[in-house]
Amino acid sequence: MILEMNNIRKHFDDMEVLKDISFSVDSGEVVSIIGPSGSGKSTLLRCATFLETIDGGEIKYMGKTAAHTNDSGNAVYVSQQELHVFRNYCGLVFQHFNLCPHYSVLKNLIDAPVHVQHRSKDEAIDTAMELLQKMGIADRADAYPYQLSGGQQQRVAIARALAMKPDILFFDEPTSALDPELTGEVLKVIRQLAEEKMTMVVVTHEMPFAKAVSNRVLFMDGGVVVEQGDPHDVFDNPQEERTKQFLRVFER
Amino acid sequence: MEFSTMLSTMAPGMLRSVGIFTLTLLGALPLGMIVALLKKSRFVVVRAIIGAYISIIRGTPLMLQLLVWYFGPFYLFQMNIGDWRFPALILGFVVNYAAYFAEIYRGGIESIPVGQYEAAEVLGYSRAQTFMRIILPQVIKRILPAITNEVITLVKDTSLAFTLAYSEIFSLAKQISASQTSFTPFVIAGVFYFVANYVVAFVMSRIEKALDYYK
Repeated sequence: MILEMNNIRKHFDDMEVLKDISFSVDSGEVVSIIGPSGSGKSTLLRCATFLETIDGGEIKYMGKTAAHTNDSGNAVYVSQQELHVFRNYCGLVFQHFNLCPHYSVLKNLIDAPVHVQHRSKDEAIDTAMELLQKMGIADRADAYPYQLSGGQQQRVAIARALAMKPDILFFDEPTSALDPELTGEVLKVIRQLAEEKMTMVVVTHEMPFAKAVSNRVLFMDGGVVVEQGDPHDVFDNPQEERTKQFLRVFER
Repeated sequence: MEFSTMLSTMAPGMLRSVGIFTLTLLGALPLGMIVALLKKSRFVVVRAIIGAYISIIRGTPLMLQLLVWYFGPFYLFQMNIGDWRFPALILGFVVNYAAYFAEIYRGGIESIPVGQYEAAEVLGYSRAQTFMRIILPQVIKRILPAITNEVITLVKDTSLAFTLAYSEIFSLAKQISASQTSFTPFVIAGVFYFVANYVVAFVMSRIEKALDYYK
């Protein structure tokens, strides 16, 4: 198991966003998380990538515990230093890319490997150029983010995450800020990564994509996992009434 | 008095004005950043102290503040610290301008989208690295126009040094004008301030252009 999240609880003020959620991801697996907005999908990703802290439950990467619930029922994290190691296991691609506007594409890809992971600059550049090649934007290495289309920016963001050599890559609605034309080029890249057996968790509203690419689909609503399983089962033969209702919207 | 004599008498005053200007910037630009960061401290007491400092500095005239720095040690604490004129002057300017710069920095820092912090956190940058490598460069670009305004005001504010009878160009102009019953010293001083600000505006626009390579 690369990632295990058990009995995760999270609330914002009076809102219970995650109610006792458990899920795990195996090496090479692609998991899609679907569901209406406000269902807790993004919060789950943000908890997994340590952008949010959980109130209760357990987070494990590679069998090692990053957070667990103590006897009084509160979540306890490992020290900041140890957390640094856990952050290294995972990468996150944001809905709005969040590239550094003041860095060129190449610099965006090598800055963290060099200054956070202390890898050699030459090696980082080689890795970066390889990734840009794969993303089909090697010719834009010297461009600045503002000079790129949204689709290109998102591909740079994916390359930036991959440059850190994560064991698992999370996507938080990677195409929601893109128009349909540009969505395709980003999905193509993710599909390609799936074929290479990159472990990924994708929060998405692109149902055909989720169905085609993922090994497993989670349908979340109201802070719980309503239904999960093989994409063909969930999409073509949903068991829960709430899932049916949600998927009907996309048939229109 | 000949024009050239007037000019050469006033020249040391110009140097002193430039001195106040330079030392104030050297002190206030970094101090302002420290103040801005302290204003965002997680300790309530620190935030309260910084808040009070900024509101007092902004709420009272710089001229009055200079007098307090100069005469305060004696009147408030019966301290006699010899020739304290120049240090008091610089202290007054630095403490005053740091408060204004701090507010500009704070505005700049708060204008950076939270996504920049989140991306940095996920990539494993430390807090110091996030600030120095990702946030600060973007802040500098955004606040340059506001900083330019403040620096131009500073050029003109150096004339307030006359309240402590420090003989920078404005004090000299007043003196010479009175003794020679001539208007010319004021014209010279006016031209000096104008040219100085012209240079400031030019340099700042160059810096802005240099940072134009990204949006």
